[in-house]
Amino acid sequence: MTYFLMVIATLVLSFIGQEFVPAIEWAFFARLLLVQTTFFCASVTVPYPVMLLLAAATGFVWDARYHVPVYPEGAAHAELGFGFTMFLYGLMGSLIQGVRPLFRRGRWELPVFLIGVCTFLGLVIQYLVISFHRGGLFLTTEMWFQMLMTSLFSMLAAPFILLLLSRLAKWTGYRIRLEGITRKYSYGNSI
Amino acid sequence: MSRINIIVLIAFVGLLVWVFLFGQDTVSSIQRGAQSFFGPVISGANKVEETVSGIGNETLTSVELRSELDQAERDRDRLKLEVLKLDELVEENNALRQALNYVERSPLKLVPARVISRKPSNWYNTLVIDQGHASAIAPDSPVIVPVGEQAGLVGKVSQVIGNDSSVVILLSDEVCQVSARIEGTTEQGILTGQRGALSIMPDLRLKYLSKNAVAPAGRLVITSGAGGLFPENLLLGRVKQFEPGPLTGEAVVEAAVNFDVLKNVFVILTESTGKAAGGEAPEASRIDSKP
Repeated sequence: MTYFLMVIATLVLSFIGQEFVPAIEWAFFARLLLVQTTFFCASVTVPYPVMLLLAAATGFVWDARYHVPVYPEGAAHAELGFGFTMFLYGLMGSLIQGVRPLFRRGRWELPVFLIGVCTFLGLVIQYLVISFHRGGLFLTTEMWFQMLMTSLFSMLAAPFILLLLSRLAKWTGYRIRLEGITRKYSYGNSI
Repeated sequence: MSRINIIVLIAFVGLLVWVFLFGQDTVSSIQRGAQSFFGPVISGANKVEETVSGIGNETLTSVELRSELDQAERDRDRLKLEVLKLDELVEENNALRQALNYVERSPLKLVPARVISRKPSNWYNTLVIDQGHASAIAPDSPVIVPVGEQAGLVGKVSQVIGNDSSVVILLSDEVCQVSARIEGTTEQGILTGQRGALSIMPDLRLKYLSKNAVAPAGRLVITSGAGGLFPENLLLGRVKQFEPGPLTGEAVVEAAVNFDVLKNVFVILTESTGKAAGGEAPEASRIDSKP
């Protein structure tokens, strides 16, 4: 329980930190999505129900802060509706849950890579939804580069956030439980 | 999948559906709350950005400061004289207007605003300004900056978040569409940004021109005033090249405003926004529109 509260506190801090993260001009204004990366990292360490609760809360606050209501002609709802981030976080969090056993065994390579992939996927889905509403699919080099750089920034930041979370887990005595997954791996003392 | 997982998943989906069905007003009030909660952090981040960007500026020596002060004093004296001349001209102009029964055009009401956040969203070219409901700003209010001797269009207000904050969608975004014409010709079209164009100064597209349009490179593109959303004669950019199509032609336009260096902008209060807010906005300055 203490660990979950720590995770929530880390997410709150990531929201504050996000305000100070600049968009990088040479990367076509890509930026580190600190909140998203922190959420994905937290998803590796918490059980599925907690991940969904975090996805709902984090997605809601993200949309409350950053949602831009652009309405397609004649539509009552915005292109990327309020709550879309909650959906994306829930979806990506569910994917990331799949690498929990690896993370528990101290293998961080795949979780970090998957965090980058999920960041990229999230951006692609958003772009496809926008394109669906507006009609036509314009795929520019700048756009791909921006999405790749955003994912790369997430992958670069992920090990540090995972390290922080593992320290918090150790400090609070939290251990990852692998409910619903084969128990062939021995449960170590690490998270 | 365990029972608890299924229950939480169903609850999550139910929550998603509930949130997706939020109306515009509910979303606005949630965003107002978030804006006021994050307000101190946003202004802190803005100050840090200003400080960091100011580090590169060289410190002036006392000799340079003295020189600048002397120059400023000379300019002040010159401007005083010009103001005196202008006063005379204004009096003369008023007398002539009265003599001719000249009907004055309604002036534009401008609200000065400061940019407090730049491009917070991935897919929309937006910025956030420090004026909102309190200044009678409403969605779709045009936003301008001086460009040389003219007023250049920055974009339009997309959303008023609270009393002191609004989101401006820039002209470089595909969503911001402006009725425009090429100066010195009869060619009119719709100027819009391009989806996925993410550079600092992305080119704009002037669409729906006639396929044999006369659009020489370098010619100014200005607002036509059609549709009534944007006042006419606001500077939009310059034609870079013309691309004839089978039915219509398109011109590639270089934007007049550098969207990356915007610090202060002006929001034009339209008649409807002024009335909606119960009259003239506080601190709203006035300028006469060009004849």
